[in-house]
Amino acid sequence: MSVAAKFVDAAGDVLRRTRLIPRVWIACICAGAFIVLLPLSFPLDGKPHGDWLQFLGRFHPLLVHLPIGLIVLLPLLEFAGTRRQSLREAAGFVLLIALATCVLSITFGLLLAYGSGEIGNTVTRHMRGGIALAIELLLCLAVRRSYAAGEQSRSYYILLTTVLITLAWTAHQGGSLARGSDYLTRYMPPRLKRLIAPSAVSSHPNSFFARHIYPVLDTKCVACHGTNKEQGGLRLDSYESLMEGGKDGIVIVPRHPDGSLLLKKVTLPPNDPHFMPAEGRTPLTPEEIARIHAWVLQGASPDATSVPGIFIAEDHEEAPPPVGDYTAFMGEIRQMQQSQGAKLVPVSANPADGLILRTTDAAATFDDAQLAKFQHFAPFIVEAELGRTAVTDVGVETLSQFRNLRALHLEGTAVIGRSLAKLSSLSQLTYLNLSGTKVTSDAVARLKRAPNLRHLYLFNTPADPASTADSGVRSTQ
Amino acid sequence: MKQHPLCTDCEDKITPMDLPIPVGLKNEWSVCESRRQFFGRFGKVLGWASLATLFGEANLRHLAFASGASSQAGFGVNNLGLPHFAPKAKRAIYLFMSGAPPQVDLFDYKPNLAVQFDKDMPASVRGNQQLTGMTAGQARFPIAPAHWPFNQYGQTGTWMSDLLPYTARMVDDLTFIKSTNTDAINHEPAIMLINTGNMNAGKPCLGAWLAYGLGSMNDNLPTFVVLQTKTNPKENNQPVSSRLWSSGFLSSEFSGVGLRSAGDPVLYLQDPAGVDRDTRRKMLDAVEAINRQTLAEVGDPETNSRIAQYEMAFRMQSSVPDLTDLSKEPESTWDLYGPEAKEPGTFAYNCLLARRMAERGVRFTQIYKRGWDVHDNVVGNLPVLCHETDRGGYALVTDLKRRGLLDDTLVIWAGEFGRTVYSQGGLSQENYGRDHHPRCFTTWMAGAGVRPGVTYGETDDYSYNVVKDPVHVRDFNATILHCLGIDHDKFTYEFQGLNQKLTSPVPARVVQGILA
Repeated sequence: MSVAAKFVDAAGDVLRRTRLIPRVWIACICAGAFIVLLPLSFPLDGKPHGDWLQFLGRFHPLLVHLPIGLIVLLPLLEFAGTRRQSLREAAGFVLLIALATCVLSITFGLLLAYGSGEIGNTVTRHMRGGIALAIELLLCLAVRRSYAAGEQSRSYYILLTTVLITLAWTAHQGGSLARGSDYLTRYMPPRLKRLIAPSAVSSHPNSFFARHIYPVLDTKCVACHGTNKEQGGLRLDSYESLMEGGKDGIVIVPRHPDGSLLLKKVTLPPNDPHFMPAEGRTPLTPEEIARIHAWVLQGASPDATSVPGIFIAEDHEEAPPPVGDYTAFMGEIRQMQQSQGAKLVPVSANPADGLILRTTDAAATFDDAQLAKFQHFAPFIVEAELGRTAVTDVGVETLSQFRNLRALHLEGTAVIGRSLAKLSSLSQLTYLNLSGTKVTSDAVARLKRAPNLRHLYLFNTPADPASTADSGVRSTQ
Repeated sequence: MKQHPLCTDCEDKITPMDLPIPVGLKNEWSVCESRRQFFGRFGKVLGWASLATLFGEANLRHLAFASGASSQAGFGVNNLGLPHFAPKAKRAIYLFMSGAPPQVDLFDYKPNLAVQFDKDMPASVRGNQQLTGMTAGQARFPIAPAHWPFNQYGQTGTWMSDLLPYTARMVDDLTFIKSTNTDAINHEPAIMLINTGNMNAGKPCLGAWLAYGLGSMNDNLPTFVVLQTKTNPKENNQPVSSRLWSSGFLSSEFSGVGLRSAGDPVLYLQDPAGVDRDTRRKMLDAVEAINRQTLAEVGDPETNSRIAQYEMAFRMQSSVPDLTDLSKEPESTWDLYGPEAKEPGTFAYNCLLARRMAERGVRFTQIYKRGWDVHDNVVGNLPVLCHETDRGGYALVTDLKRRGLLDDTLVIWAGEFGRTVYSQGGLSQENYGRDHHPRCFTTWMAGAGVRPGVTYGETDDYSYNVVKDPVHVRDFNATILHCLGIDHDKFTYEFQGLNQKLTSPVPARVVQGILA
């Protein structure tokens, strides 16, 4: 007997065992072939095609929820069917309808993608997911016959599980297409977010681009100009791709906002056919446009941290946590105020704003030992004015215990920076002035940035290479 | 009955009840008219008066400390519960350009004016603006475009006259207000208005309000210092007087302390030969004892200020020489401020001194520069004025910035009003003059509390009227107070039956558009 005959025999055996009528198989294979061949007949080439295709295609989101609902219903019916026969019988019908609507959805989906000329990884993944789902459903249909007869239950269950997983994955791709890939993660608590996806927006997470330009592009543009779709061959999901431009050339011309295509498109009248974002998506706000404009004017730098003329409150007004209520110590504080020497001064009438440690009256005699005496006020002190005092590195160590400290003036002191590293623990510290001290760049490097330190002044120190130049300001960002 | 010849009462007895006066007054009369009522009220008043004397002292003390006691965070010398909210700026430095700099020549770029040289100013633009006696008689008002070219500077592309090359370098750090306007058209009322909120003398100035409200940051130096720049006799110097830094109805300890622009900054600060520090201290203690005795007898609060000022002077004997000793300034200081800064009394020197005072906790420093009153010979005078002030202002802001002081210091640059776009007197290609103009002028701020790189407000094509976002000098002052953590409406002092405030009595607003 030839190998072929053996194979046919074996196949026939399988067919008999699964009690399949060959006609069903033929139908299944035909349906499968249709689905697989469908994308080949409508290759996604990134060009928009006939309007009527798009018109029909736009019913895809409407249709697509029908098979989803039915597919989810299927396992429920099957499991409930172990108790009640009628439900199991219904499951077969539901499977059939699910398959039919699934194929219909795929067809409309393809019309949509082909008609509108959408391409991109997510589009492809979504399409492949849909086709895989349809084929799995076909297999389900094929296997279910023997399952209903009480055989092959395991393979049917495995198939069902695969169907559900494929469904979830495909649906997620579809959701990403419609709502943007970060739809789910946008309002995720930051800690959870970091856990899931460490941000890779830019090598300069604190740059103006990363903080104020990228988020605008991400919410308003990337849905069509990103990994999902690449309309006009333009991607706006990273600094590099933004500067690279698209089919129509570069879209950002540094220092020339008026010559930048991107700014032109977003500032057209909203009814202009070239207005962006297209398709009635949310336009950019005047504020967002102003930010981009100023950023381009400034040179469209990837790492500049601020742009003149543009002020963004959250950059500056991080509301620090309120400090505890110091009013219980008011007697002691008043006594200090009435005498000469170091004193504690409320920042404002609101006790939650904390206290300032002020030493200007007695700067010359204020030393580490005196500083240590203020330790029991430490939780309330938000600013320490220790400029030109006799405080040394020992004092800096004491200061690292002042956990609510936001501003620390150490200009003109004898600090050489041995214990600067300890200040890294001050999570609220935004301002540190070391001007006129003997701190070296090594010592400053050891100051592993306190997380919020924005303004570090090293004027007239060995750590400041430009100490003789006009600008001695070092901003950490 | 026959009327006595000397009696002026009418025979037919017209009473106040018959007069055409308001009913309220008649009722009041009817209450007071009889002798019985007079004695009744007299007795009651006497009773209250005696009661007040009996409880008086405790009562008065309670009143005096009421504000401090009610607010737990009340602090400072006056227990006012200030600042109202966490301030952005702890201190301010005010560069006052007395005489009114011409905004058209310095900041307010009007490119369209060049082609309108010597054309008449449209009457529609001038509207009903009152003119000064100096130009009211002029037959025509020929437009005088700025004599110097303008260029764009900084990343903000701010237009700036070539006259201010140093200011041009820091435009990105400045907040320009092009729409500042005032009520007065002559120097004295205008300079009083911007400094004290009132054209009439007798009100405390901004610095005095700050000294009163926020108190000192360094007991060894005055809270409010005034520095005058040496005058250039070739310039048209309008007088400035101590009214401008007066404490008005506030205690005189809050008035500005002037440091002299030449010689010793404070006279008689050195102890005389043969008098050592201890002797001086003993003498002051004795004087204080006498003063306290006077205070107890007379109760004049000015005695208190005198005691405080003697003490301040004693401490200043050591703090002022340290303040004015520039020998330890690094070379970079002189590179920045220029060689002029070594000469006491120059604007650059005063700017350097202002930075040193900021470091030492002086709350408010006001530097006056006179001579901006360019009624004629703008082409001759303006370059000199700009040369005298441009570098100092730039150096001050830059120096504060590199030393980390601009984070909590507000720098203010202003004059009392602006100048006209039309020429006062003859206009030629070579020269022109400019008269007073209250409707718009340019001011700038920099540092804590304000947004850098912003230009706020717009004027029309003739730099004559404000067309967008007007900022009255009261709004200007309200904004300064806001930067220092003070709500200008809540910061009041009861005097003459009115809750007096710096911005009173016309409502003022904080210019939100320039706030950080």
